[in-house]
Amino acid sequence: MNEKKRYHPAIILFNIASFIKETFFLIIILFVINIGSTSKWIVWGRYALIALFFGYILYSILKWYIETYEITREAFIFRDGVIIKNQRNIPFERIQDHHSKTNFLHQLLGITSLKLETGTSDKDANIAFPAISLQEEARILESLLEKERKIEVDAQHEEERVIYFESTNKDTIKAAFTSFSFLALFPLLLTGYFQLDEWLNIEETSKQVLHYFERNMWIWIPLGLVTLAAAFAVGYLQTLFKYGNFVISADKDRIYITRGVFTTNAYSIQKSRVQAIKIQQSLLKRIFGMVEIKLVSAGQEIIGSETEVNSLYPFMDKKRAYQLVNQLLPDYHIVENMHRLPKKILWLKLIRPYYFTLAAIIILSFVKREWLYAAAIVLLAEVIFRLLDYQFTSYLQEEEYIQVREGGLFTRTIHTKWRNLQQIEVSHTWLQRRFGVTTIQFYNRAKPFQLTILMDLSKEEAVAFYERFCRRSAKTRLLRNENEANFIE
Amino acid sequence: MYLHINEPTKRISADSVRVWRISNLLGYGIALVLAGAVLYAAYYYDWKTWITAILTIGSILLFVSAIWAVGIEPYYLQKTWRYEIDEQFAQLKYGRFTVKHIVIPMEKVEYVSTSQGPFLRKYGLFNVEIGTTTSDHTIPAIHQEEAYALRQQIATYAKVKLEEENGVEEA
Repeated sequence: MNEKKRYHPAIILFNIASFIKETFFLIIILFVINIGSTSKWIVWGRYALIALFFGYILYSILKWYIETYEITREAFIFRDGVIIKNQRNIPFERIQDHHSKTNFLHQLLGITSLKLETGTSDKDANIAFPAISLQEEARILESLLEKERKIEVDAQHEEERVIYFESTNKDTIKAAFTSFSFLALFPLLLTGYFQLDEWLNIEETSKQVLHYFERNMWIWIPLGLVTLAAAFAVGYLQTLFKYGNFVISADKDRIYITRGVFTTNAYSIQKSRVQAIKIQQSLLKRIFGMVEIKLVSAGQEIIGSETEVNSLYPFMDKKRAYQLVNQLLPDYHIVENMHRLPKKILWLKLIRPYYFTLAAIIILSFVKREWLYAAAIVLLAEVIFRLLDYQFTSYLQEEEYIQVREGGLFTRTIHTKWRNLQQIEVSHTWLQRRFGVTTIQFYNRAKPFQLTILMDLSKEEAVAFYERFCRRSAKTRLLRNENEANFIE
Repeated sequence: MYLHINEPTKRISADSVRVWRISNLLGYGIALVLAGAVLYAAYYYDWKTWITAILTIGSILLFVSAIWAVGIEPYYLQKTWRYEIDEQFAQLKYGRFTVKHIVIPMEKVEYVSTSQGPFLRKYGLFNVEIGTTTSDHTIPAIHQEEAYALRQQIATYAKVKLEEENGVEEA
């Protein structure tokens, strides 16, 4: 098992492809638009680009040859560099979760890309295998699992993987509607139109078509229907590619999420490494009674395009979703009935300074005095937002966990165990002291972190929060001493 | 006491007021000179009214915050700063109008280090920095022996290895 391995040679092809993609415009300029040109610059430019191209091919091959990885019993070892040799050792226990992504091209070649997240912010933060064969992927994951099993106290009770959720066609249709992905048709049409216009100059033609339409009003009906159908088809396909074949499964100690049609994503996390559960609900999802549940883990970026990998199906019925969480993570019970803040807090929220309105007034009075009334709209928006904030802010602290919902147009509920909190902060401003309330904040591990803020919590509750946190965090320490192996952070 | 919880008790050096005053004076002094130059240009070259107006308001705000940061804030910060390190937690508390109280479990501490700028050096003071996976905190203006002892103590409680002088070492 201890041998140096290289990535799949297809990585050379991918590198070359991305090189061509990056220099695409240069290629067009040098070889298409100015194909007949004999100008010195163009000719030399062509030679330079061709030289660069071959140079890059050589570089890619060399890079592929030099970069190796090795799997030992404890760690991954990565080596690269010609003159300066680099070596990185990543112990298995630092790996928080893994995510493999297989696009269409990967599938054709029978390979995949794999990313292992360590949850630190340094340059070793994630380990990427950009192209490896499926067998290699299996071997890497197997060696990870083997290590985990050794840590497990009773490895005998090994259970089979159980599938808890599989998206159906109905789910995809529902998702396509609530995600508004059917609107994606219109930018597509616009880009298509402008592209055509560039090549064929269809502006005149389109004017004529428009005139024809104006004379024959009936044509709008079938046209509208066709557009609607097309919009839905595009939205449906987009949702299908992204969220189709969505499967959530789990065994005794891991959760697995796979999704996608042409580009498949597979994500997996050890249950004990889940830092918190995040429930997000937009206004629209609230109306349809749907939620998106995410597993917060130390390796998952909070901001960025790949945030969806840790999401349990984003368009799931609320009851079903809560039930699913409980099935996947038996220690976690999402509670729906939480405590609201008392009525008087609403007044506190409303008498706070209206900074946005103030800024709007100042800016407008300088820039466009006749539009000053627009500040009233800003004020109205601010008031509505504060009302929504009050309406949906709620909390629950129990012996084992804390659950906080941050209100607003878009609500976010965090459910986490006390021992997963990295740090807490209790603060109070002059105004808050007049009302006998405080602000509490707590941090969960993520990338870089998941911050939850609960404003205007009563003094007594804040004290309870502080004391419970201290008690529970202290207890973990004892537990840790007893059973070091179970708590690897 | 507003909240009935165990509050930290250790205070930071009284010299911190002077250190903060000097460093804030320097920082705000430079900013104010720059703002003055831009403002002068605005009036001299007769820039558009709204640009001049925004620049004037900005400069006034800068001046007010300079008075705050040099004249008032250091005094209250020093007076209210408290910290406490024990086997379980690092606790920090500061602020007069907005009071903040931060609790960090020792087992979440990833590194600890001391640092010193030119003004702190003049008074033989150090900042002690505590980092977790999610954030960094600074206990400001502690006397040298105390700062080193504190660093050592945090490292022991948090089970982080200390490497060398000024060493930043991960868990």
